[in-house]
Amino acid sequence: MRYPRWFWAAFGAPGYAWLAVLFLVPFYVILAVALGTVDPIFRFPVPVWNPLEWNVGAFEFIFNGLGPGEQFFVVFVRTFAYVAIALALSLAIGYPVAYYIARHGGRWKAFLLLGIVAPFWISYLMRMLAWVNLLQDDGYVNRVLMWLQVLDAPRNWLDGRASTVILGLVYGYVPFLILPLYAALDRIPRDLLEASRDLGASPAQTFRRVTLPLSKAGILAGAVIIALPMFGDYYTPDLLSGSPKTNLVGNQINLFIHGPQPTVGAALTVLLMAMLAVLMAYYLVSTARISRVDER
Amino acid sequence: MRRFVDWWRNPWGKPRFLAVFTFLYLIWSIIPILIAVRFSFNDGRSRSTGQGWSTRWYWDEPELSVKNDPSLREALFQSLELASLTMLIAVPIGVALAISLTRWRGRGSGTARFVSLFPIVTPELVMGTALFLTFVHLFQFVELGTVAQLLGHVTFSISFVVIIVRGRLLSIGPEYEEAATDLGAPPMKALRLVLLPLLLPAVVASFLIVFAISIDDFVISQFLSADSSTETIPVKIYSNARGAPTPALNALASVMLFFSLLAITLAIVLQRAVQRSRGGGKTGVEDMAEMRL
Amino acid sequence: MSGHPREARGLDRREFLRRSAAATVGLSSAGAFLAACASDEPTGAPVGTGGGGETTAAPFELARKDNPVTLPLYDDNPAIASGLEPEAGPLKIYNWIDYLDKKTVKKFDKEFGVKTEITIFNTMDEAIAKLRAGSDFDVFFPTPDRLGKLVAAKLLQPINLDYLPNVQNMWPELQSPFYDVGSRYTVPYVIYTTGIGYRTDHVTPPPEGFDNPYDIFYETNYRGRTFLLDDYREAIAMLLLRNGGTDVNTGDEAQLEQVRQDLLGLTDAVNVKVSVLDYTLVPEGRAWVHQAWSGDFVSAQYYLPKGVDYSVLGYWFPPDGKGLIGNDTMAVLRSAKNPVLAHEFLNFMMDNDNAYANFYNFVGYQPPLTSLNPDRLVADEVVPPHLDTCVVRQEDFDQGYTLLELSPEVDALWQNIWAEFKSGA
Repeated sequence: MRYPRWFWAAFGAPGYAWLAVLFLVPFYVILAVALGTVDPIFRFPVPVWNPLEWNVGAFEFIFNGLGPGEQFFVVFVRTFAYVAIALALSLAIGYPVAYYIARHGGRWKAFLLLGIVAPFWISYLMRMLAWVNLLQDDGYVNRVLMWLQVLDAPRNWLDGRASTVILGLVYGYVPFLILPLYAALDRIPRDLLEASRDLGASPAQTFRRVTLPLSKAGILAGAVIIALPMFGDYYTPDLLSGSPKTNLVGNQINLFIHGPQPTVGAALTVLLMAMLAVLMAYYLVSTARISRVDER
Repeated sequence: MRRFVDWWRNPWGKPRFLAVFTFLYLIWSIIPILIAVRFSFNDGRSRSTGQGWSTRWYWDEPELSVKNDPSLREALFQSLELASLTMLIAVPIGVALAISLTRWRGRGSGTARFVSLFPIVTPELVMGTALFLTFVHLFQFVELGTVAQLLGHVTFSISFVVIIVRGRLLSIGPEYEEAATDLGAPPMKALRLVLLPLLLPAVVASFLIVFAISIDDFVISQFLSADSSTETIPVKIYSNARGAPTPALNALASVMLFFSLLAITLAIVLQRAVQRSRGGGKTGVEDMAEMRL
Repeated sequence: MSGHPREARGLDRREFLRRSAAATVGLSSAGAFLAACASDEPTGAPVGTGGGGETTAAPFELARKDNPVTLPLYDDNPAIASGLEPEAGPLKIYNWIDYLDKKTVKKFDKEFGVKTEITIFNTMDEAIAKLRAGSDFDVFFPTPDRLGKLVAAKLLQPINLDYLPNVQNMWPELQSPFYDVGSRYTVPYVIYTTGIGYRTDHVTPPPEGFDNPYDIFYETNYRGRTFLLDDYREAIAMLLLRNGGTDVNTGDEAQLEQVRQDLLGLTDAVNVKVSVLDYTLVPEGRAWVHQAWSGDFVSAQYYLPKGVDYSVLGYWFPPDGKGLIGNDTMAVLRSAKNPVLAHEFLNFMMDNDNAYANFYNFVGYQPPLTSLNPDRLVADEVVPPHLDTCVVRQEDFDQGYTLLELSPEVDALWQNIWAEFKSGA
């Protein structure tokens, strides 16, 4: 590049500055609150800015609750499980759709993509409320299932079961998975696939040995885009369940922040973000090679 | 019917299973939207049982319709205002950031990339709480309300712009700019006259996505709202849904849907027109999908 | 009243006036007797330790029935002067959801030529957090169990009773209640009890058929349709009562530990859920057993689906009156930009007709008006006969247990139990 070294770095200066002030600093605030104290009357958080005065009571409280069967352990394990299952289901649903649009979309590509993206345009809450509606005892889900004779009697989907919450998560996040998957699949040059067929591979083998590996970056990207925010989701369990047995980390953070020990809520947030940061870093490092190959 | 049978039997045709699967997925995805819209035209008070058709919840109903209920109207304007402003601020910042990240090779670029992309994967609950605490304890000169909400929206929108624009940048490659500079153009001019036009579809896509995300945002808008006049549509829906809402809520969401579809259609039409004069290229819709982390 | 559920019952304006007249005219002998026997003027020595259970001294005083509290006045937080003209508004009200009748508010708007904005909060903690963070609401609806904190943090401004002659319409005990002697900061709004709401057509036997009626929550037949109120004070208090406790503001660790285990056991037994939508969930049949507020069950009849009769709604409250009872209050915030108008609003809402209209049209929660004869509510078909357990009477206040302010340490104990319960462990 002919441009001076600092040119490109400086080009992004407004962006870096914005993110530093309004993204990084708030994280420090959370840290200061997690390691801070509470005011005696209201028990509202009082952040402590000086690291030398930090008080680790909140973290102690959490570690005490991390033993098997204790409240934080149960919630973290449950959240992991739900996210993992929802991710797997989303991939199972999203990959075929992305594949179809990328490889066989043809003239309809833009139209189909619009259909995928359409759910973004109506409020997520509205869609979830529509589902609550559909899942009621006399709702369409029960009616259809009984008509298909899968069920004999209406099942109470909203009685606080994990499957409803997981399906809600899948429904809400799957569009976010399809887009990056589609992007990755679309990028695979057709000639590679033709070459594979020319060399005698069957469609299934082509898929397994050419398409799938080349789409790995897309899968990882999509997984990161949906799994990480899912860890902080709290309104899906709220709307679709309401039972403590399906509460996720997000629910507990919300409860603590607005309740007895906001320091604990902030500390939980810190732990959650540390975990997510590790996952994100792992993703970036492991795909650094792949994206360098992609860049011409 | 005959065409369908032919299609089904065509041995050279596209995979049938995948086609049907995609079709079913789209139906599953869109049905709740259709239901929500259907009940917005309900003639009764119920949001779950069909009671005829009417537009009362949009304008007729004297106190409760979207047109006549000031709190619903305010929510609509607040949502549109926030989304528009967020668009105008986040996209330029994000485009510059994307260009910087893709071209910058020096030390610290990895960290910069990490920080730029982290907002996307940060759960909104975390962002909302962090920003709330920040505006209450640290940046107290920023009061809760529209300004705070705007700052929050822009912050997480920037990352979306980055991944969309980066996708396009990585496909374009550096050759065009290099050619321009070889021919004697100074860096900024090469950028302006060569790169930006090539990026246009991605920029349009960014505008659309930021608009959609800002309009749909719930957590950050709620945490940073001051009073009912700064509540956006999703916040209104959430707080009303906890009580006993009327179909006016569905009507509100449908109005939002309408505006968004309008925006997308305009964008696509404009793009097609521009591209026809230029010749070829991807549309913004496809660019929306071409994301790169 | 187009579109209002009341329409179906064929009530028109003439009917409404006739019934409200019947209810207001003629105090029952019981009512008059009690009015005459209003509780003693409290001597109110401000310092004192409360009833058993509280631990160390709180930074503010904890009001109890036997320890009335005169809330402190501060020099830097004065009340407004008398005789001022109301401001131009808009009046900003901060309230629970569905807790004010829109028509009554409109009437206020017309009378004073102003606009009113209502902002909703979901929980008292959330509301206090927003108030602390800075806001400019005028009118607030605090519960007595937060008054000590609110006053100590100077979030409320003292009210000037010269603007509030209608406070005379309220029950004498509530005109100068033990939690706010002299009504320095609050005036009463509505009264209610907390009992068990249920579907008579699905729940047999009803709570009274159990040896310990509160055991109905553990009935596994109703698994998935059992709800507690999403309020840690109400839920824990009800379980304390189930165990035979008599102090619903206790900090006694043994009792609280028992409740903690009971709560976790409830999750295992019936996958209990939490909500505050008892007035829609029970009529819709999504809940069969729901800890509920009395006012919600009065209005629940309007959320019944077509064709379902209100006889399916049942509400149980201890017949001896030893259950949870409480009242909400109205207050003016210190940050109010329209304090005079706010006072006028409070006065307006305590007017006999307005308070009754608020209750009757929409809210369902009873106002403590001396002119409102509770016994007539059933006779006048405001409340269905089998739901007369929802009606609150003055004598209930003497027997019942009220949720009052906890010291911060005890409050933390309660909230920690709730957090653990909510984690589904």
